[in-house]
Amino acid sequence: MNRVVFALMLCTCCFSTAVAQQKCDIHIDVLVSEAHNGQPVYPVVVHIDELNATYETNEQGKLVVDSLCPGKYTFHLHAIGHEHYAEQVNVVSSTELKFELSHEENYLNVADVHGKKANSILQDADQVNKAQLAANSGKALADVLQEVNGVSMIANGATIAKPVIHGLHSNRIVMMNNGIRQEDQQWGGEHAPNIDPFMADKITVVKGAASVRYGADAIGGVVSVEPKPLLQNGGWEGELNTAAFSNNRMGVVSGMAGHNFTKIKPLSFRLQGTYKKGGNYRVPGAWVANTGVQETNYSATLGWKEHHYGVELFYSHFDTDLGIYRGAHTGNQDDLNAAIASDKPLVPATFTYDLERPRQHVEHDLYKAKLYADSRLGMWHATYAFQKNYRQEYDVLRKENNKAQMNLTLNTQTLNLNLEHRSLWKLKGEVGVDGIYQENYIQPGDRIFIPNFRSYSGAGYIIERYKLKDWNLEAGVRYDYRQFELFNPEGNAGQVVRYLLAYRNLSWTIGAQKALGDKWNSNIILSNAWRAPQSNELFSSGLHHGAARVEYGNKTLHPERSYNLNLELKGSITDKLTTDISLYTQYIQNFIYLKPGVDLLTIRGYFKTFNYKQTNAQLSGIDFSTAYSWTDKLQSDFKASFLFARNVTNKDWLILMPADRLRLNTKYTFDISEKLRETYINVEGKYVFNQWRIPSNFDQIDYPRPPIAYFLLGASVGATIYAGKQPLDISLTAMNILNQKYRDYLDAFRYFIDQPGSNFVLRVSVPFNSN
Amino acid sequence: MMKYLSFILVAVTIFALSSCDKEKNEVIEEPHVHEEEVITTVRLVITNNAGFNKTFSYKVDNGFNSSSPATPVIDDVVLDANTTYNVDVQVWNESETPAEDITEEVKEEGADHLFLLESSPSTGAGSIGFSNGSKDANGDALNQTLDFTTGDAGTGQLTVTLKHEPTDKSATDPPGAGGETDAQAIFPVTIQ
Repeated sequence: MNRVVFALMLCTCCFSTAVAQQKCDIHIDVLVSEAHNGQPVYPVVVHIDELNATYETNEQGKLVVDSLCPGKYTFHLHAIGHEHYAEQVNVVSSTELKFELSHEENYLNVADVHGKKANSILQDADQVNKAQLAANSGKALADVLQEVNGVSMIANGATIAKPVIHGLHSNRIVMMNNGIRQEDQQWGGEHAPNIDPFMADKITVVKGAASVRYGADAIGGVVSVEPKPLLQNGGWEGELNTAAFSNNRMGVVSGMAGHNFTKIKPLSFRLQGTYKKGGNYRVPGAWVANTGVQETNYSATLGWKEHHYGVELFYSHFDTDLGIYRGAHTGNQDDLNAAIASDKPLVPATFTYDLERPRQHVEHDLYKAKLYADSRLGMWHATYAFQKNYRQEYDVLRKENNKAQMNLTLNTQTLNLNLEHRSLWKLKGEVGVDGIYQENYIQPGDRIFIPNFRSYSGAGYIIERYKLKDWNLEAGVRYDYRQFELFNPEGNAGQVVRYLLAYRNLSWTIGAQKALGDKWNSNIILSNAWRAPQSNELFSSGLHHGAARVEYGNKTLHPERSYNLNLELKGSITDKLTTDISLYTQYIQNFIYLKPGVDLLTIRGYFKTFNYKQTNAQLSGIDFSTAYSWTDKLQSDFKASFLFARNVTNKDWLILMPADRLRLNTKYTFDISEKLRETYINVEGKYVFNQWRIPSNFDQIDYPRPPIAYFLLGASVGATIYAGKQPLDISLTAMNILNQKYRDYLDAFRYFIDQPGSNFVLRVSVPFNSN
Repeated sequence: MMKYLSFILVAVTIFALSSCDKEKNEVIEEPHVHEEEVITTVRLVITNNAGFNKTFSYKVDNGFNSSSPATPVIDDVVLDANTTYNVDVQVWNESETPAEDITEEVKEEGADHLFLLESSPSTGAGSIGFSNGSKDANGDALNQTLDFTTGDAGTGQLTVTLKHEPTDKSATDPPGAGGETDAQAIFPVTIQ
């Protein structure tokens, strides 16, 4: 994009000399209309590069440009919900120029709605932008999402992590991978999302219930990983990223190349790939056995885009091998207690890249086809996707047999039809239907944790918004039907029992946004979501080696229903001080949780048991952030996140909820020379409180108590080096500089090992483009 | 436009059809589950040259995958006072028919295993002393066979633990040995 602007600026220079002596009294009437129905479009922001001037259309879709000199002018047209349109016009005399705008291709997929003019559903959403992605490149997805206030993570050591939004995770969060709902056995706490963050141009996190738009299950929120739109203005673009991590000697390389054919204008493609390999990681004073990671991901996108219709094909493959700390595979309660009592990892280790049992191998394939077309009614989208998730778990064996003890396949097909209709009596919105077919099965001879199943779901939804002068109002409603057909081997003989379960539910959202003067914006959103109990909650009957406990499913569980109220105030107190306060409370009826049961005698000794039960829960909290500019170059920002998670029925706290946390970041940015720009020094402190809000029976359920509070210090320096016009971004980051020894409450390995020690990361990134 | 719609229809049909094939239906509807390396039983085969020959079992069947586990079978170990016995410690999977003897496998992988025997009380009335424990291929302790020497008449408790990948093979109790517990049997003991 910068190249385009640069090129245009060059043109401007040429022309300005050429046209300097000519008569400048040309008058142009500009008329902007909808491509299909011919209706005027307003407001449209029209920017003319050569004049460096901006205009806006009136209600008739018109504007006037006066006193023009003859010459070539580049018009850029921007309107909400429409594609950006640019055209160079040769102006010789006074005339009328007509432009047509068509609806934006991914208008409906734009999840960033927050703080913008209501171009989509109102939500409490935050983004991880390109710069933040670059600053965190090479990390796992959940780790990258820590940039967002109110997001924490649940982990199994340093290699397996999942995002937690306002205290909720796994089944209660929907992940959108390039517009498709990711289905990758997300119920498991030790199943990290199978998405390559390098694919993303930005990641949007919706906090709070968002079922109407994203479907059932989105009680806690949504993480949407969005790639860049395909290149449209001819030529090549690309990026090469590398990162080297000191702690686990991990190397990451990722590349992307996109092309738009100049001869065949509508045709574009993009290829992208990532390779990552790391070995055992280090906690202060020791190596952690069998914690290596290897990942190979790639994706390809092919697009054909005409003015009023188009098609996009997408394929991605994610492939990972993960080692699991050997010492986390405990035999019984005594083994676990021995591990807890030990100050050091019980399994001695040195550095290696090799993986041994226990380990996981996971592959995820996504095939997606999207069609879109403009019509009199509005913009149509049809999106079909097929996903195949293949998960292998290699258990610790007495005798190696090269086989995985669990080979779980999850196939999902999704189809979405959506119409974003044209304005009707000032109402704008979308209607659509969703269909999902899913099958889940083990290979013959595997161990089983969740039963085999087929599931069929269908849904219909409508979201409408109404715009007044200072207000945006919005309401949406959705109806879902889901049917499960499960096949569960039961009893000592493993007799297969077939279950047929069906769930239907209505969910809704209403929201209002009001501008308070020029500087403040406020939101109020009330939404409702639901979630059907998942197969693990219904049927699991198995041992968690890491926690030395047995979990029993409960076939009588009802769906969870959530009512979420969110208030947000965002704006600037002075030019230098901005702030964002978000208050939320969520009431969850039939909240599914694990309740301790009687100890179970096994051949390995006694184990704690847990049963899936339901209660009513209330999760309330505050996300506060503020940024202050000391000078043009020096900026600080502060974030705080507090969560109060109650079991309302028992008048007690909920277990395993993220502790409160604070973060302070200060960045100094300066230019050293023409060749060394955007230099920065960044220092960051993070403080995580001890989680004292624990159930009164905590000591009977879990041991030891949540870890003490910790403080982490990090810093980074970076710059953009210009070799001619070619930029090269380089940065050095230090995480946990002080090599702090600490444990985190939401890490399932908190019983066995500390969190990683200091880690230094060198990142080099080279973007390129040609037009 | 129609072209693309028909493409989608074809794609949907292909996947719909592929999900209908018979073999896959079988895989989904008739899950065949096999839990590997299951141990259900610890057996003590105890003999001596005075013609004593008895087997004592500690059996907990299907502890994990059933919500109604079978009642454990725990034999009382009844021995004579101040006598020496030869003991063969065995582990079995009795959830299969015929029952599978896992002891051989443990011996083959002897370097990765260790039987730990503990007596409570450790000396005096009701106690058992241990000696002559068998070794693995590296000459480290395995204790798959060993000798028991009983104390005076009384009652006590005998704990047999099988450790997998112990970090210290010279240890005499489970916490010291490290590794993972594969089986743990606690027998009541009567010395008479």
